[in-house]
Amino acid sequence: MIEARNVRVEFDGFRAVDDVSLTVAAGSMVGIVGTNGAGKTTLFGAIAGQIAVARGTIAFDGHDITRIPPNRRSRLGLARTFQVPREFGRLSVMENLLASAPNDRHESLAAAWFGRGAARRADGEIGERADEVLTLVGLRPMRDQPAASLSGGQKKLLELARALMGSPKCMLLDEPFAGVNPVLMGQLLDVLCAIHARGIALVVIEHHLQALKTLVQRLIVMDQGRVIADGLPDAVLEDALVQDAYMGGVV
Amino acid sequence: MDAYLIAVGTVVLIYALLAIGLNLQYGETGLINFGHVAFFALGAYASALLALRGWPLAVTFAVAAAVAAVAAIPLGLAALRLREDYLAIATLGFSETVRLMLQEERAITQGVQGLPAIPKLFGALGGARADLAIFVALLVAVALAAWATHLLKTSPFGRLLRAIRDNEAAVVALGKDPARYKIQVFMFGAALAGIAGAFYAHFLTFITPDQFVPLVTFYVWMSIILGGVGSVRGALAGTLLLVAFLEGSRFIRDLLPGVAEVQMASIRLAVVGLALILFMLYRPQGLFGKRGG
Amino acid sequence: MTLVEVANLVINGLVEGAVIALPALALTLVMAIARFPNAATGDVMTLGAYVAVGVQGALAGAVGGQLFALGIATVVTALACALVSLIAYQWIFRRLGRAAMVASLLASIGLGFLIRSLITLAVGTDQRTFSLPLVRAWNFGGVRLLPNDVVIAAVALVVLALVFAWLQYGRSGRLLRAVADNPDLARLSGIRSQRLMWLLWALAGALAAIGGVLLGVKSVVMPELGWEFLLPAFAAMILGGIGSPHGAVIGALLMGVGQELSVPFVGPTYKIAVAFAVLFVVLMIRPAGLFGRPELVR
Repeated sequence: MIEARNVRVEFDGFRAVDDVSLTVAAGSMVGIVGTNGAGKTTLFGAIAGQIAVARGTIAFDGHDITRIPPNRRSRLGLARTFQVPREFGRLSVMENLLASAPNDRHESLAAAWFGRGAARRADGEIGERADEVLTLVGLRPMRDQPAASLSGGQKKLLELARALMGSPKCMLLDEPFAGVNPVLMGQLLDVLCAIHARGIALVVIEHHLQALKTLVQRLIVMDQGRVIADGLPDAVLEDALVQDAYMGGVV
Repeated sequence: MDAYLIAVGTVVLIYALLAIGLNLQYGETGLINFGHVAFFALGAYASALLALRGWPLAVTFAVAAAVAAVAAIPLGLAALRLREDYLAIATLGFSETVRLMLQEERAITQGVQGLPAIPKLFGALGGARADLAIFVALLVAVALAAWATHLLKTSPFGRLLRAIRDNEAAVVALGKDPARYKIQVFMFGAALAGIAGAFYAHFLTFITPDQFVPLVTFYVWMSIILGGVGSVRGALAGTLLLVAFLEGSRFIRDLLPGVAEVQMASIRLAVVGLALILFMLYRPQGLFGKRGG
Repeated sequence: MTLVEVANLVINGLVEGAVIALPALALTLVMAIARFPNAATGDVMTLGAYVAVGVQGALAGAVGGQLFALGIATVVTALACALVSLIAYQWIFRRLGRAAMVASLLASIGLGFLIRSLITLAVGTDQRTFSLPLVRAWNFGGVRLLPNDVVIAAVALVVLALVFAWLQYGRSGRLLRAVADNPDLARLSGIRSQRLMWLLWALAGALAAIGGVLLGVKSVVMPELGWEFLLPAFAAMILGGIGSPHGAVIGALLMGVGQELSVPFVGPTYKIAVAFAVLFVVLMIRPAGLFGRPELVR
């Protein structure tokens, strides 16, 4: 599904991502861990398109996406969430989802004036899908609340819900568990499993190793811009190199 | 007295169209357009020039809107790449360049002398009836513009605009290009200004480049600030207040002997300047807007 | 175009550029530190010119020659406009520091209007000129050089040199340059202080005033004087890169020469359009300008 080859990202000469190659199979679930500054989020940025690569190629679902802008990558089925949720604060939860769904034909100025009936019908259909997604992530009761009024954990769920509206084939999740209270944590894990059950590939950056281990079959460890381990979670975590990099860390 | 009220009312409605357009551009997409008068000018000249060649006014008005909308495209594209303060400067430069072109390209625009004897809208009705007809037509135009704005805001398009305002990066991450939406709004706002220009030209029947100076842009800004940015009602209220002020200053001059028109112009400028400063300091949401809205 | 014609245009452009460098420097420092384009700068230039004309007129006959009086007038107006600028900061822009940028921008437009209108209310809209000794242009085989222009350029360069020296070696000046160069870093390390802001705004006012005087000497003093040069000054600032003092100067010189060289092609009235074109092109291609920092741009 995702094929990154020899990706290098540089900022002012500093190599945030240094010669990283990795493959993510369709429908799989992969975790990425590493100390802060290891290059994990930068790698996501490169794959999703917010950050330009200095070298290397990235392919998604057979297409070479190395040079195409982030919104086009999203259209191909590659969704990405951010560490800090970016909800549309003044819109309601439902409106957040409505605005997130692909809706080109009705989201034009002409449609605002001359196609209102059709737009309303489209909204209805999207609304049904949105309700279903909201139920999946457990936010259905809040559908009419302004997004800004949600708790931090709920906003993370909203991020997931919004990303799902685009019917993605693969989702890049950047620290979905960060700042989520233990009560919501279980719900979040269930949601991620449910999403995975739909056949959507998930790549998850996390520091929360316990939660990640219960979720993924494969763990990638990054350190200083490079991949230093890749394999079954238990094996990877016992690897000497990894323990070295994490000296005094969370292992 | 009636004729005077209708004339003032006409000016109010023309400014209202300008204000609704600018309000959309700034209120809905955050585009700081300091060159609004350029669209006004382009609409006025386009319609006037074609009408002077015998084209029917219904067509020239449409052309005015189209010309203004097309002129908005390069600015709209620039808006996407530029930080808002750069955009403000660029739009100001744009409107001054347009004014210079209108001044210099004498072969087309007759330069500083301007275009006299522009066909009056509804001129066939004669005198006062024509003025009344223009007023009514403007009333319809403003109502339509307000209605179109309302439809826009309550559509999926409008929803997306609000989303872009709340978090543009997220919109991009979701696969949509904010550029498309912003440019469409920008063009619509410009088209409204173009139509206002056409009305202006065929009401006054005489236009010169000097009428389209940056001060006009800032009069319109004053209107939307007075009324509170973002709402059509605010734009209309602000326009009323603005024209009341501009006209009121004329009365004051009549009351105060020895005040020349030139001095009155300076006083008007001073008041506008002071008002801009005071509103920014103490009431940026305008007289009718909500704080933080 | 003959070489002589080109030389004349370039010389004129350099002189104009040297003059525009002053408001461009003021704009770039304020833009980098206060984070908004100060549209009142043009009208402060106008104010500077009018005050100087007034002072020179008042001193007529009482003091040494016309040039001496002009010199005093320039110093007086620089101080006066520095004060005006300080007051504007203290009453208006300091309070708008936390508001959205557009608020400061609109307020500066309003301030410009206010200054311009007060000038015309006080002294009318007539043009004024500085009283200067009549001199003939020097002629080097067709290349004309006005002694006035030489003086203008010299004054501009001296002022710029002084300011640059201060920015380079003065304690507060170095601080100012550091903040202009990297406002975020400066804010984090707590360098930003009230005194620094006062220095900034006073300097900006003084520079604009002197620029106004030089412009007035070169042509005439009229109410639209500064506003007409606002756009070229902005263009110079952006061309040179915001926050870069030497960028502002180089940008101004390039703008001046560029505008003059364009005259044979587009005519004198389109000079402002040239400024706009340069502005537009730079903003689209390389918004950071020649010496600016790209991160500050979007």
